[in-house]
Amino acid sequence: MQEVTKTFKERIIDFTIYCRERHFVLGPQETYDAFEVAKRGYALDRRLFHHSLKAIFCTRREHFERFDEMFNRFWSRYYESKLEQRKKQLQQLKKEPDTATVIFLGAKFNIPKKESNIEAKETKGANENSRLRVTDFSKVAITDKERLEELAEALFHQMSMRVKRRLKTANKGKIAIRKTIRHGIEKGGLLLKLAHKKKRKEKRKVVFILDVSGSMDTYSYYLLRYVMVLKKYFKSLEFFTFSTHLTHITPLLRQNNEQLILKQIGSNVHSWSSGTKIGESLTEFLNTYGSKFLSQKHVVVILSDGLETGNVTELKEAVRTIKNKCKTLVWLNPLKGMEGYQPIQKGIVNVMPHLDAFESAHNLDSLLKLEKLLMNV
Amino acid sequence: MNTEIARLIEDFYEHDYILNDELATAVFLLKNLEKPLLLEGNPGVGKTMLAKTLAEHLHTSLIRLQCYEGLDVSTTIYEWNYQKQLLHIKLFEQEKDKKQLGNQIFGMDYVLKRPLLQAISAQKPVVLLIDEIDRADEEFEAYLLELLSDFQISIPELGTIKAVSKPLVILTSNRTRELSDALRRRCLYHWVDFPSKTKEIDIIAKKLPHIDQQLAAQIVTFIHNLRKSNLHKPPGIAESLDWAKTLLLMNQTHITDAIVKTTIGSVLKHKDDVAFVRNKTVQEFL
Repeated sequence: MQEVTKTFKERIIDFTIYCRERHFVLGPQETYDAFEVAKRGYALDRRLFHHSLKAIFCTRREHFERFDEMFNRFWSRYYESKLEQRKKQLQQLKKEPDTATVIFLGAKFNIPKKESNIEAKETKGANENSRLRVTDFSKVAITDKERLEELAEALFHQMSMRVKRRLKTANKGKIAIRKTIRHGIEKGGLLLKLAHKKKRKEKRKVVFILDVSGSMDTYSYYLLRYVMVLKKYFKSLEFFTFSTHLTHITPLLRQNNEQLILKQIGSNVHSWSSGTKIGESLTEFLNTYGSKFLSQKHVVVILSDGLETGNVTELKEAVRTIKNKCKTLVWLNPLKGMEGYQPIQKGIVNVMPHLDAFESAHNLDSLLKLEKLLMNV
Repeated sequence: MNTEIARLIEDFYEHDYILNDELATAVFLLKNLEKPLLLEGNPGVGKTMLAKTLAEHLHTSLIRLQCYEGLDVSTTIYEWNYQKQLLHIKLFEQEKDKKQLGNQIFGMDYVLKRPLLQAISAQKPVVLLIDEIDRADEEFEAYLLELLSDFQISIPELGTIKAVSKPLVILTSNRTRELSDALRRRCLYHWVDFPSKTKEIDIIAKKLPHIDQQLAAQIVTFIHNLRKSNLHKPPGIAESLDWAKTLLLMNQTHITDAIVKTTIGSVLKHKDDVAFVRNKTVQEFL
């Protein structure tokens, strides 16, 4: 065992903080393991130290790919001189009020501050919440955006807890032999009273196909947020976005940082806020991913206003094929929430006969109503 | 390089497994820090094989738990021997102290050990392979947490059973589902990527010593270019080896269009992928 100097321990702690700032999930145990590596003398060999910390600090592929560069940068002589400067900057930043915002879909969404101004929030009336719950997302005033974000977060969290509880409720499942035998002891081994295991409700496999063309981006953003909260309750979840062509964005959802994911999706989907070719995009989905993500266990949810600029026959054919291959096909159309709306557009008229459900999803209330449809609870 | 790691690489090489520095360090830490190792990567890159080779390297047994949906305590940790319990109840039917009778039949003598309990009860450290953990339910992941952090298992009737000797635990995942942070944080981590061309040629040459070097190089170049295409299921090392074996069996010395059309089934396992390759010429992949 090697004596690890205080300065070196401090450097390891600094490196842990450095990694944490870059979204690595690290706690005291990882720091302790890094100390253990140093104590065993592995830090004397830079390569061994590098690979050891990589195995300890990384928990997913995304970390694995970024670690080498981070390690080299941090442990280089150049970085040492910068470290002190950086610490000072961070301290300075902490003193300043939080002004962080996420630029997404061309609009600024303030990231809600979780703990501050709780009193101020509570003084606002319940009426305002009720109003925001039924306000169409596209008509929310800039001044209400932050409030709507907070409300959405609170309501989605409540819904998440509700779904979790409901998934636990159970009917009679298989026979629980252990319990049955316990009952049988008093009857001399006769199994007169059968005990049953609790049966869990089966989680669903869901595929979301979101229209992110100009007319739909605000709705897509809130539906994305809604689904992010529920993602752990689905057995499998696949996400696609389209406007003129299809993008598979499920790999981006693997991280746990919601704000970061939304930001990344914004920068990855190149066709965001452009024209709409629904039929072409759905055909592309069928050809490329259909065999993998469509089965009689899948629920497919399409979010679009149905304002097709491409071939309507292609759209009709694609929707009919998707319906035949999946268990349930749901179409969410935010226009349905508008007063006096009639599904008379060419695109929608053609697909209506093949849908199992046609819902609105234009405000918080309508999103919350989807819970039953999506979660099978 | 650390001498112990260099020895590890050599020893694995003798067992036909080619380790790189990073993976060797992860295995080295698995042995020395006694923390489980989580291996993620595409199917067929050698995750399961690593556990098998580790067991051979340590001259110990490998206990494998293949995960699937619906896996529960009774198939992974322990199950009560119900027939034996019922016989016991019948034998002591006249026993008045029913509580005592209950305690007797829920004792260690009536437990059937399943892989996880077997692994922590072994006198000598074994290699425990929890294969394709992403296929199991989240509930099962929660069962595993106690085992992975403290090497112990709790059975309600018997209390906590601590490991006699700590097993070397390797978990593998193909990333069909995201694993929880709680599980990840209890493990060392390594992403097993597809090997470089040179390394893959070495692997084929090691496994199939009679193969012509030129053919091995052609196979690897072809497979590497296939991986760059947008396939449903990119071929892994296992597929490269299968193809090399097939071509050896057919006494081929180089790859032709005709041979690709007839043997591509050993490389690609998806209808669309096969159709994609059949519509191209060999030269496009070499």
